[in-house]
Amino acid sequence: MLITEMKSKETLYSLISGKVFIINCHGCKEVHFPEKDAVEFQKELAAEGKVTGIMTTDYICNPENMKLRLEKHMSEIEAADMVLVFSCGVGVQTIAEYLEDKKVCAACDTYPLPGFQGVTPLEYDCKQCGECYLNITGGICPITACSKSLVNGQCGGSKNGKCEVDSEMECGWERIYRRLAQLGRLDVLKCPVQVRNYATDDEVSKS
Amino acid sequence: MENYTKYKLKSNDELTALLADKDNLFVIACNKCFKEFETIDEPDCAEFEKIAAECGKTITGSAKVDFLCNKTQTTKKLQDMIPEGTENVIVISCGLGVQTVADLKRAEMPVYAAANSLNYTGHHGMALTKKSCDACAQCYLNITGGICPIVDCSKSLVNGQCGGAKNGKCEVDSNKDCAWEKINKKLEKQGRLEEFLAQPVQVRDYSKVNFKVINDYVKAIRADRFEGYYGGIHPSENKELAEHVDMVRFPDPETVVIPLSMHAGAPANAIVAVGDEVKVGQKIGEAGGFISSPVHSSVSGTVTAIEVHKHATRGECLSVVIKSDGKNTLHESVKPNKDLDSLTPEEIIDIVREAGIVGMGGAGFPTFVKLKPAKPVDTILLNGCECEPYLTADHKVLLAYADEVIFGLKAMIKTVGAEKGIIVIEDNKPDAIELMEAKVADIDNIEVFVAKTKYPQGAEKMLIKNVMKRQVPSGGLPADVGCVVANISTTKAVSDAIQTGMPLIERVVSVTGEKIKNPGNFIVKIGTNTKDLIDYCGGVTDDDVMYKAGGPMMGFVLPDTNVPIMKGSNGIIAIEPQVSTPVECIKCGRCMDVCPMELTPLYFAKLADAEDWMGMKEKNVMDCLECRCCESICSSKIPLVSKIKAGKAAIRGMK
Repeated sequence: MLITEMKSKETLYSLISGKVFIINCHGCKEVHFPEKDAVEFQKELAAEGKVTGIMTTDYICNPENMKLRLEKHMSEIEAADMVLVFSCGVGVQTIAEYLEDKKVCAACDTYPLPGFQGVTPLEYDCKQCGECYLNITGGICPITACSKSLVNGQCGGSKNGKCEVDSEMECGWERIYRRLAQLGRLDVLKCPVQVRNYATDDEVSKS
Repeated sequence: MENYTKYKLKSNDELTALLADKDNLFVIACNKCFKEFETIDEPDCAEFEKIAAECGKTITGSAKVDFLCNKTQTTKKLQDMIPEGTENVIVISCGLGVQTVADLKRAEMPVYAAANSLNYTGHHGMALTKKSCDACAQCYLNITGGICPIVDCSKSLVNGQCGGAKNGKCEVDSNKDCAWEKINKKLEKQGRLEEFLAQPVQVRDYSKVNFKVINDYVKAIRADRFEGYYGGIHPSENKELAEHVDMVRFPDPETVVIPLSMHAGAPANAIVAVGDEVKVGQKIGEAGGFISSPVHSSVSGTVTAIEVHKHATRGECLSVVIKSDGKNTLHESVKPNKDLDSLTPEEIIDIVREAGIVGMGGAGFPTFVKLKPAKPVDTILLNGCECEPYLTADHKVLLAYADEVIFGLKAMIKTVGAEKGIIVIEDNKPDAIELMEAKVADIDNIEVFVAKTKYPQGAEKMLIKNVMKRQVPSGGLPADVGCVVANISTTKAVSDAIQTGMPLIERVVSVTGEKIKNPGNFIVKIGTNTKDLIDYCGGVTDDDVMYKAGGPMMGFVLPDTNVPIMKGSNGIIAIEPQVSTPVECIKCGRCMDVCPMELTPLYFAKLADAEDWMGMKEKNVMDCLECRCCESICSSKIPLVSKIKAGKAAIRGMK
């Protein structure tokens, strides 16, 4: 579950050569899918006679269903010079791998969404750092709530409580400080210096 | 299937250190997401509790909660969960669950994480794959043959290889293929290398993903999710196919087949015989019980058969076949009633019952029963949402018969003694909103409520929640919270029955769908053959088609279109069939996210397979509306509604 946003029309036209087969993935539509833009653009393209077929489906990241649903469109896909996929990056990669010999292009850019792919979107975010710091921060994540992902306190650059990197964002460490003060747990900040291990779990399990 | 567990318990040493100065612990474990759903429960507290016991700590209690990050549901579940005497809450979940609980409990007690989120790169798809996306907001796949340089290259290089690969393997991780060698091979194979080399140098813009952009998205998405009521979905509306096509009267059929059951409850009993002459509006079937409804002839002519005939929702049904004489002679019983002011509530109820009026949104519940609520009713809600995609019949009725609809509403307000009536219309029908607002401007006790389009807005309970902010209790009826909900076409039929004396013998039907050649909206006599309607619209574009009576969400699949139009036939759609193969539930939790009744459909799938009907009952399966939101959002394509229906049928059978 990610946010997809359509690339600019100019970019899309620059990608298109010859006939196009279009795949729309509505699996994560409840999160975000630029349906209106996509329909409008696809109509325009079809009016120019460039479209061999349009398939609207869901969860192309589920390869079994993707293959099953692509089946009846195979002749349209073969008749096309390229396949244009309106989905997140995972969907495009799944199609590109399956249609190995076809030029497969992404019509969308993908934005990250706080929260995992499950029941979110959420106001909280987790970067899966692998060594949860929430115990020393009153339950506010310093990896995602601080622009710099600092784990040992604020950088000192915030102005009026706002982050110096992104002035729309509250300083994560000021939030942490307030939360700990509220809980009467400011003493936990006296913990030893934290050193973040950037290795992934894959790497850790191999070493 | 891959195990996509999001977290693992912290080490024994770390937990021991964490617990050193803490006692009286309450443990909450998330019944974690994205894990193969082999068992219903995943006992996760035990290991932690053992460590806590070794440290000599008191545990005040523990709980397993599904999807802690589902804040709406977690907020409810946490109420009264934590017993007196608890000093610290320990959460076993990914970072999202811990933060959610920490935020909810921020003023009361500290919340600690007992687990680390597993660390991996990028986001996988909804349905689980090995492909990942780092959501860089500037997709590079178009120049790389569909192989992602951000996740597949250790260094996330976007302009070609670093030169450090040895024998095709990455220098950072020798187990990993060099992504750029893969990209090179693929582009070469597709003859696109030149295209790549001619590209200008790519510069990654790290500022594209910033707090404001993401935060605005999240706010907008969450606002949509929680608009009016929890959950629901926004399927493609596809109403443009028929909404601008003028409504016309469908040519009179030569023969009508009128089923004796077009309503909830007992079928009607035929009161005519083969060979009888009948007229328009003549009663041909008498109600077969209290919850039942009479049926009337929609043409004048001769009864040629009373036989079992195919039926859109019940397979087959005893039906009266009438050959029309083409004259449409009115039956003498069809005559205007007294004016509304002179009619008593009892008289109106009689008129509505005798006119055979039933809910025309599809369910077919006899309307007169609704007009005799067991509890005091203060508000009548007219459901003009038509939240099913494709359908435009009620929309057309609102536009063409606004005065009749308002008259019908006034009659119902009078009958139940309500204070006011509210006409609820979704914001995708601005012309209807404008018209109705103008029409009710001078009426004190009738107003228009504009609802933001979301499916299943038109479900009674959702409508009441959204408009009245009242919650119909589990197993309860709208009257329990002082409401009666009526459909637009039904209300128009009530008006006709009073003003002209005409029973329910015709209705507006949308014939639409991307496969119908010329979609339209028609005034159709009950008993008209569905196939004739489709043929009249030019038939379908090709053979790969699925017909449904009703909308795509709650409509009935029609394997055969040789079925009559009935009182509840709001639409006939011909759409592209979707083939699916169900796979194992991965506990993504999206069904819980969209269920407007706040149920847990993922459990229903598992429990129905195990035929654990009591288990389903305990999880309130009887509250399910069968709106199909869960099934439509399911990334594993599990036929959840048929499993739910099986459970409900079994539970009903147990009584």
